[in-house]
Amino acid sequence: MSKPDTTRVEGIEAGKGRRFSLGWWVVGAVGLLFLIIPFFVHDPYFLHIFVLMFLFAYLGTAWSLVSMAGQLSLGHAALMGIGGYTSTLLFMELGVTPWLGMWLGAILCGLVGVIIGYPAFRLRGPYFALTSIAFAEILRIYVENTEVGPLGIPLKAAMGLLVPLKGHAPWLFQFDSKIPYYYIAFLMMGAAVGLSFLINRSRSGFYLAAIRSDQDAAESLGINSLKYKLIAMAISCILTALGGTFYAQYFRYINPERAMGLSMSVEIALVGVVGGWQTVLGPTIGSLLLSPSGELVRAYFGGTYAGLHLFLYGLLLMVVILFLPNGINDPLVRAFKRLETKLGEAKKVRKETSPPGTRRRDKP
Amino acid sequence: MSFELIASALIMGLMLGGLYAAVSISLSLIFGIIRVINFAHGAFLMLAMYASFWLWYFFQMDPYLSIIIVTPLFFVFGYAVQQLLIRPMFVREKALVVEPLGVLLLTAGLDLVLSNLALLCFKSDYRAVVLPMASTTLPLGFLDLNLPRSIVFLLSFVIAGVLYWLLNYTEMGVAIRSVGQNREAAALCGVNVYKIYSLTFGIGTAALAMAGAGMVPFYYVNPSMGLSLGVKSFIVVVLGGLGSVPGALIGGLILGVVESVTAQFVTATSSVIFSFLLFIIVLFIRPKGIMGMLEA
Repeated sequence: MSKPDTTRVEGIEAGKGRRFSLGWWVVGAVGLLFLIIPFFVHDPYFLHIFVLMFLFAYLGTAWSLVSMAGQLSLGHAALMGIGGYTSTLLFMELGVTPWLGMWLGAILCGLVGVIIGYPAFRLRGPYFALTSIAFAEILRIYVENTEVGPLGIPLKAAMGLLVPLKGHAPWLFQFDSKIPYYYIAFLMMGAAVGLSFLINRSRSGFYLAAIRSDQDAAESLGINSLKYKLIAMAISCILTALGGTFYAQYFRYINPERAMGLSMSVEIALVGVVGGWQTVLGPTIGSLLLSPSGELVRAYFGGTYAGLHLFLYGLLLMVVILFLPNGINDPLVRAFKRLETKLGEAKKVRKETSPPGTRRRDKP
Repeated sequence: MSFELIASALIMGLMLGGLYAAVSISLSLIFGIIRVINFAHGAFLMLAMYASFWLWYFFQMDPYLSIIIVTPLFFVFGYAVQQLLIRPMFVREKALVVEPLGVLLLTAGLDLVLSNLALLCFKSDYRAVVLPMASTTLPLGFLDLNLPRSIVFLLSFVIAGVLYWLLNYTEMGVAIRSVGQNREAAALCGVNVYKIYSLTFGIGTAALAMAGAGMVPFYYVNPSMGLSLGVKSFIVVVLGGLGSVPGALIGGLILGVVESVTAQFVTATSSVIFSFLLFIIVLFIRPKGIMGMLEA
């Protein structure tokens, strides 16, 4: 083996050996904090804000999987709506528990995602963004104006669907307190972030990174870009549909204007963009910042100034895109890296100054 | 299903299609040259219609006359949006990204800002101008054509024609087309690419405002109207071929006819499903649209 090769391998080994990563420790600590919050906070409104935060972190993470393939979706609300409507209709009409119905909605959304993605992903340019927004808007207009859909499905038009109340019925995805919802939303968020992390670390994740930075170069290396975009889209759709069921069960109500509207699509995208789209933790960070503030603005000004929170969201979206294109995640990661190196250096100094043989690691 | 019913549906469809075309041409022009889909397109249209409406409301100005004020006003507006908001993105992403997704998001944010600003300022009331000529009809055999709708139908051809002349028979048009074909080569030939971008955005927005003012006599104005017409114009430009001005004209007419004819068989709201199906089918079998990439 030639000399430059060995040094590179050594470099990688050295990097792998460095287990100390401040960022992930902070993530773990914040996660633990979230786990114990319901033991101290009992106010339903605060718990509600946390549930929204987790839900949007989850939805944003699912959304960012598509943007990791270099595509922009402005129609993710439609998928959420399909998921929520499927599980709720199955429950209302056939008595199927939403725990089961959510998976049917997810499968349906996965198919829808592939059907929409296939023609649009083959093309360069903004075709997918256009398709996604057209799909979502047309689905919303259709549901908003259709009392009884094909096969006699009672879509109930703009009125939306009320999930029949069954009191405390865990088997039917209904709880009488916010705490189970809190933990379910937290688990969903954790699972989505974990999945996104695994995808990013996998071969497919590297393929996606290659496709989004230079599709021609990726394809010249034999990557089937259409296939990997479709895989990312399908996973994203499935996750979003599950989020839709959670939304319907949590609010016990789902209507086309909110659950399929453009404002929901933009909110999902915004969480991802502000935090840092195309990153694993970005959407979660974005949601931690945005969901509570958005909820407060809506609660205080929603009645008198309808549209104010969307105006602010739009403004924020523009400011972030113009001045912080990689989201808040980017400067955070850099700050952590700096802190890490500093701490790492301090550790090294300590190691070097302490007498040999006093620590286990120094043994040969 | 009688012949007359189908024929009148066809003609109504062409009228509706003329409206779609008038609204979509500028979106296609802007994409053809700048390679940016302006997601705030619908919001721009809504603002132009409000401008025309307020001119009528406060100064009793005829909406058709207001075209001479609204058009230059929105040229300046479009020029400023490109110069102040979109240009910095191009400068930054010049070497990095060929298809800037960031610009799409920026215009989506602009759409939210403008349409909700309109909601905050003008409230969500539906507003309409009251003109005696709005209910005038032109008798055409078995059916009567609504005069203002016919005017918009003609206006779409006027807009397409003016843009065609501007692009093909003026020096500025040659510069604009050269930038659309290859911006590096155009820059090497001494074309100020960013200035051309701003000009194109301004011209496109002005053409949109012209269509908006023409629609005011028969179309209700409200802050959320931009979205539905915006989505329609996205469908139209893909149907016709992204970047092609004649394509947008033909795509608009096709969409109008399809919507109007299918509405004879199913409810009007279900017919929007057909327009989306048409969109998906065109993406499948002829992704470059009916006219392909003419200007590109």
